[in-house]
Amino acid sequence: MLAVALTAALLRSLPGVVPTTVGLALLLVVLVTATFARLSIAIVVAIVATAAFNFFFFPPIGTLTIADPQNWVAVVAFLVTAVIASHLSATAQARTREAVTRRNEVTRLFDLSRDVLLTTETTGALDVLARHIARRFELGSVAIYLPSDGAWHVHQGGATAITVDERQLDTTLATARGTLEFDARQRAYGGHASGVDEAGGPVRLIPLRHGTRAIGILAVGGDALELGTLDAIAGVAAIAIERAQFLGEREAAELVRQKADLASTLLATLSHDLRTPLTAIRVAVENLRSDLPSDTRREQVRAALSELDRLTRLFQDILDMARIDASAIRIDRQWVTPADIVDAAAAQVRHQLEGRTLRVSADAETEVAIDPMLTSAALAHLLENAAQYSPHGHPVTVTARADDSGLRVSVEDEGPGLDPGELEHLFERFYRGKAARQASFGTGMGLAITRGLLIAEGGQVWAENVPHRGARFTIAVPGAVRAVAAME
Amino acid sequence: MPARILVIDDEPNILATLAPLLRSRGYEVTTAMSGRAALEAIERENPDLIVLDLGLPDMDGVDVTRLVRDGRSTPIVVLSARGAEGDKVRALDAGADDYVTKPFGTEELLARVRVALRRTEPAPPSSGPIISGSLVIDRERFRVIRDGQEVRLTPKEFELLTFFAQHPGRVLTHRAILKAIWGPHAVDQPEHLRVLVGSLRKKLEPDPSSPRYILTEPWVGYRFADAAADRPTQA
Repeated sequence: MLAVALTAALLRSLPGVVPTTVGLALLLVVLVTATFARLSIAIVVAIVATAAFNFFFFPPIGTLTIADPQNWVAVVAFLVTAVIASHLSATAQARTREAVTRRNEVTRLFDLSRDVLLTTETTGALDVLARHIARRFELGSVAIYLPSDGAWHVHQGGATAITVDERQLDTTLATARGTLEFDARQRAYGGHASGVDEAGGPVRLIPLRHGTRAIGILAVGGDALELGTLDAIAGVAAIAIERAQFLGEREAAELVRQKADLASTLLATLSHDLRTPLTAIRVAVENLRSDLPSDTRREQVRAALSELDRLTRLFQDILDMARIDASAIRIDRQWVTPADIVDAAAAQVRHQLEGRTLRVSADAETEVAIDPMLTSAALAHLLENAAQYSPHGHPVTVTARADDSGLRVSVEDEGPGLDPGELEHLFERFYRGKAARQASFGTGMGLAITRGLLIAEGGQVWAENVPHRGARFTIAVPGAVRAVAAME
Repeated sequence: MPARILVIDDEPNILATLAPLLRSRGYEVTTAMSGRAALEAIERENPDLIVLDLGLPDMDGVDVTRLVRDGRSTPIVVLSARGAEGDKVRALDAGADDYVTKPFGTEELLARVRVALRRTEPAPPSSGPIISGSLVIDRERFRVIRDGQEVRLTPKEFELLTFFAQHPGRVLTHRAILKAIWGPHAVDQPEHLRVLVGSLRKKLEPDPSSPRYILTEPWVGYRFADAAADRPTQA
C-alpha cells in the first residue's frame, strides 16, 4: 500500500507524466508484492493500485470517476493484468515452496535411510529407528507398532510416548491388509487412519508395508507432516524393520555355526588327545597280561600311569572349561601372599615342570585378598605353557608381587616367543600355537582356561614378547593388599 | 631270522608299549620319533616292516609313506585316528599296506602286521586255483566253487573276486580296486564298485547283509577275509 502511495506521489510530482508510464510502474509494484506476499494481498494491492491510477492520473483527477471511455478500458486492462500477474507469480512461488519442502523431505528420508543402513546391531534396532525418525523429521512423538502373537510390540522414538488403543491398531492393520489403492494426489497408499492417543491428541496411523504386505503400524503424533511424507517414512521404516529381522536371523545362524565349529573342534581335539593315552594304556595293560621281564613290566606300569595322568589333566581341563562356560565359578577370597600362589601353582604342574628350572622371585611379605584356588590354577596353566615352549635347560622365570591394585604375576620363558599374528588368538579356546601344532602337545584349552578363571575373578591376562628372550605372560588380579602381620 | 620292524610314533609311551609287545612276539624292533629320524633309520636298517603313526611332528605321515615307496616296497602299517578316514585313504593310496585305528587292541595290530609281512613272502603263482577257506577260485576254467557248489559269476565279478582273493586280509581302497578292475579312468566312480560288490556278495555270501568274504572298511574300501589271519605265521 505504502509502495503504491509512494509511487503514485512520486509520479504525480513528475511534470508531464503519461498514463502508460504510471500504469507500468504500478504494475511493477503489484508484481513485486505478488512475488513476496500471498495472492490475496497481491490482489488487494492490485485493486488499490487501480483505484490510485484512476484517482490520480485519469481526468477528472481527484475523483474515482472516469470521463473518457478509453480510460475505462485502460483501468480495466490494468486491473486484469495486475490480477493475472499476481496469480502467476503466486503460483510460481507456491511451486518453489513445494519444491523446497520436497527437497527437505527427500533429504530427510535419505538421512533416515542412511541411519537405517548404518545400524548394524540388532538388539534395540527398532527403538533406534523410531528415534531416528523423530530426530530427522522433528517429531515430538513417534511409535512403531509391530504385531506379534496377538499382542502389539511398541518402540517409542519421540520425547513424549504415544499410547494408542490396541483395538484401533487392530482395525487399522486389518484395513491396511484389505486396502491397497495408491492415491496419487496424496502420494500415499490407502489404509492410513487418524486416531487419538489416550490423552486425546491427534495421531496419524500409517501402515508399514514391506512390498504390499502390511507388517505393522507407524504412529505419529500431531499433523505436522503431510500424508505422502508419512507414507514415505513408513516405507523406509518397513525396510529397516525387515533388515533388522534379517540381521537378527543371520546373527542367530552365525551363532549356531560357531557352536557347531566349537563342537567339531572339541571333537577333533578330544579325538587327538584321547586316542594316544587310550592306546598306550590298553597296549600296556595287555602287555602286562603276558610273560615279560620284570623291568619291562615296570616300564609298562609307568607308561600306563603317565598316560592316565594325561587323561586326568585333560578331564580336569574339560571340567574347568564347562564351569567357565556355565559361569559356575564361585569366588572365595582369602588373604594369601604372592609366594603362596606361585608355590601352589608349581605344585599342580610338578610333572610338566620336570627337568625345567623354575626361577621364582615372589613377595612373601604382603598379603592380597584373592581366590587362591582360581588364581593358582590360572597360573599353573601359564607355567605348563612356558615349560612346553621353553627349550630344555633354559629356565622359566616367575615374578610375583603385590601392588596397590592387587596381585601381579609374570611368567617368562626363553622359547621362540610369540608370533605377532598369534597374539590375538592366543587366549581363544582350542587355539594351539604353531609350535604346539607341530609338537602335538597341549589341548589348546590351557590359556582359554587361564583367561576364563581370571575373568571370573575380575582379573586379566595378557602376553607379550620380551626382546631377545621369549614370551612373557602376565596376570593381574584385583584385591585388597596388606602387610603380613608380624609374628607375635 | 626274525622280521625286523621299525615303529615310528612321536609319543614316547606308545613306543614304550608297542616295542615290548612286538618283541614279545619274536620280532626285532627299532623305533623313531620323527619323520626325519624314521627315514634315516629305514636307510640304515632296511626293516622288513614299518609301523607308522600319521601324526608326526615334523612331517606328514603320508609324505613319509610316499618317500619310502620311492624305491622300496617295505610293507607299511599306518596308525591313525578314528574320524581321520581321509588321511588313511591318502596314506593307502600313497602306498601304505594297511591301517589300524587308535585306540587299538594288541591282537588287531599283530594281525595286520602278520598280513603285511606275508606280502613280502613269495607271491602265489599267478595261475592255478586260489583256495580261501571253503572257496575255490579256478582261474583257468573261470569257475568258482563254494562249499562244493559252483557259483556262476559274470566276467567282471570273477575279475573282482580274483583281485580280492589275491590280496587276502589286506585293505584295498576304492581307488585301488577301481583302477585294477576298470582302469585308471574309472577311479572317481565308486558307484560301479558298490554295485559290483553288491552283486558279488549276493552270489557268494551265505548272508549278504553280514558278509564273510568281502568285508567293508567304512569310508576306505574293502578287505577280503583272510582265512589264515587267525593263526600266527611268525613263531
